[in-house]
Amino acid sequence: MDLAAAVAPTTLARQRTLPVADPLQPLFPEGALARGRTVACRGVAATSLAVALASEATVAGAWLAVVDVPWLGVEAVAELGVPLERLVRVDPGETAVASSSGEVWADLVAAVLDGFEVVVTRVPRRVSAAMLRRVLARVQARESVLVAIGEPGSLSPDIALEATTPVWEGVASGWGHLRGRRVTVAASGRRIPRPRRVELWLPGPGGVVAAVEEPIGAPAPTLRSVG
Amino acid sequence: LTIWVPPVTAAGSHRARDGQRQGSHPDRRIVTVWCPDWPIVAAGVAAGAPAIVLHANRVVARSPAAAAEGVVIGQRRRQAQQLCPDTVLLDHDPDRDARAFEPVVRAIGRFAPRLEVVEPGWLCLGARGPSRYFGGDQRLAEQLVAAVHHEAGDLATGVGVGIADGRFAAAVAARRAGRAPMVVAPGASPDFLAPLPVAWLHVVGEADPELVGLLARMGLARLGDLAALPAGDVLARFGPPGRHAHHLASGVDERPPGGVEPPPERRVEQSFDDPVVQLEPLVFVGKHLADQLVAGLAAEGRVCTRLVVMAETEHGERTDRAWYRAAGLSAPAMVERVRWQLDSWMMSGEVSAGVVLLRLAPDEVRGDDGDQVRLWGGPSAADERAARAVTRLAGMVGDQGVLVPAWRGGRLPGDRYGWVAASTTDLTDADDTAERLRPRPLDGGNSGGGGGVPGRAGPWPGSLPAPSPAVVPAAAQRAELLDASGRAIAVSGRGELSAAPATLAVAGRPPQAVTGWAGPWPLDERWWEPAAHRRLARFQVVTADGVAHLVLAEHRAWWVAATYG
Repeated sequence: MDLAAAVAPTTLARQRTLPVADPLQPLFPEGALARGRTVACRGVAATSLAVALASEATVAGAWLAVVDVPWLGVEAVAELGVPLERLVRVDPGETAVASSSGEVWADLVAAVLDGFEVVVTRVPRRVSAAMLRRVLARVQARESVLVAIGEPGSLSPDIALEATTPVWEGVASGWGHLRGRRVTVAASGRRIPRPRRVELWLPGPGGVVAAVEEPIGAPAPTLRSVG
Repeated sequence: LTIWVPPVTAAGSHRARDGQRQGSHPDRRIVTVWCPDWPIVAAGVAAGAPAIVLHANRVVARSPAAAAEGVVIGQRRRQAQQLCPDTVLLDHDPDRDARAFEPVVRAIGRFAPRLEVVEPGWLCLGARGPSRYFGGDQRLAEQLVAAVHHEAGDLATGVGVGIADGRFAAAVAARRAGRAPMVVAPGASPDFLAPLPVAWLHVVGEADPELVGLLARMGLARLGDLAALPAGDVLARFGPPGRHAHHLASGVDERPPGGVEPPPERRVEQSFDDPVVQLEPLVFVGKHLADQLVAGLAAEGRVCTRLVVMAETEHGERTDRAWYRAAGLSAPAMVERVRWQLDSWMMSGEVSAGVVLLRLAPDEVRGDDGDQVRLWGGPSAADERAARAVTRLAGMVGDQGVLVPAWRGGRLPGDRYGWVAASTTDLTDADDTAERLRPRPLDGGNSGGGGGVPGRAGPWPGSLPAPSPAVVPAAAQRAELLDASGRAIAVSGRGELSAAPATLAVAGRPPQAVTGWAGPWPLDERWWEPAAHRRLARFQVVTADGVAHLVLAEHRAWWVAATYG
């Protein structure tokens, strides 16, 4: 009898998930990112939302790879709480863009999943179902989380997040500066029986993600006579 | 020839007597052969030429000529090149080192079969048998030096031979030997070690550098200071890593008292019905065996410190070699050793048929002290995994396709952090990473910005406050910013607008109504450098679709530099 197997602790639910920031927890049935799943982020705040999802996991030691998102703003990523020492960007190069079946993208994402627990990417429009199946099998085998920015194409995500009704606060006609954006994020998908919805500052003051409780104070500077 | 005998003092003789009791067990007499800067020798650098071997931009070995210019191990490449501009740069290649070391191992193996290789350039063996055969430790040491010189030529870097009780003392003796072998008399190892600095624990004992630094800060500067403490107190304060260090410093061998010989069923092996003639499939099987072995030992809370790798061909030729590592061999370390051994065996010309059996046998195991590296904040398993993936990815998309952020400094979003090829830095090295990402203040005198937002009084005055845009394309996009009557908006020299903006159209897309805007934040960068001089005004513009842009006015045109996506 294999003693090791007999005394091995059972896997706790917590070990099968990656933590997410508090304000985002209501979006997920587990209150966290379940490993081996796919999440799609759509709408106006897709990039910020995808990075915000990864922040807490990276703080806990996970590595984040962004594949084919060459325009990602590093400062915003840092403000959202991702430790930059665990951020790697992978660019597929010209060949991937040219390939019609998305094969280069699929190979690349599969290889990235070997080393990274959170992978943020864009799904090419023309990627074939077979390629996509291969990527999904790798997500499950590696117990990583794949986050798609923008339209997920033929990927049908476990959880679809959509940010709507953005309202920027902080600027008026020629004064102030951007302080934060209020958005409504809705979660749906086959793992979520009833749509979930939260109102967020994404980003909020200082660039972090926060739950909307009350409006941040109006930034109007008080003018007063000084002589 | 140096023979180290303990000075006769009351305390010394007492300690020597103690050592005698524990230490003069004949099996514990160990010879260490140490070829300093072996990678330099292996690379075939001409004598007298300056050369350095680099791994992740840091010096791992240097030739005597480079050392004379002040190059030290662990230095960054640019510092080393500043000190020694003519130096030859060599890539770190452990496989090459192992291949070049093979003839030396074979030569020594002829008169001392039970030898173990620690790493290329460093091996040790039991001294008892060969010492008797050659007529004493001194004669044995001379024979070994002669054998190394015979096989590897007259090494410019020299060869150190040390003989002492226990592996640690022997390794220290070999490194301190210089040109002549150093023999520490039986039972004298504790006294030999006592006056040496604790840093030796890290250099050859594979104790954690953080622990060694902590000991030094606590005033335990010498190995003798640590050895003088009661073992129980050290264990209570520092845990198993501390006990390990205490053992080493006391001249007790690393193997803890009562260490067990692993039972033979711990061996893992694979036989092949079809003989294998190529290296890669064998290494692949070796990886599988190593994973199995390490997992089995880990389940019992043990690590393997001495591993015997054996392979046999169809015709009965076999290679049998022991590999030793004080900190324990991880699965990747085992695979590396399997590769070194099989590679040089297959190149030796002794192999006339395919391999039919590969066996990994743990010859010495000890209790796992816990993941020491992790305990002290070194790279985690996730870090190692990511670093390995990065290497593979660079092979798929090229070095320029796998990037990591690096601080550059600037007042525009895309300027503050740049991306550098991941291959130029060691992702698991905390110092390297901290230096890459640490925001550095502007070097005084050129703060040409002005007009910055108060509250961002950081190292870069004049940059915009958080939140920062999440979408920063490599090149700014053309935009049209119009007033209510459809006229293009102009900016005066002082950054004032000709009218309030009403619509913004980006890159030819339909115009959106402007619902809010702020600015200008003028910027006058690098005015002292005509080619790089930029004079522009920054604005934040929010449009009716809820999107906010960072808009620039430069060269009488409007640009969208970034979007708060």
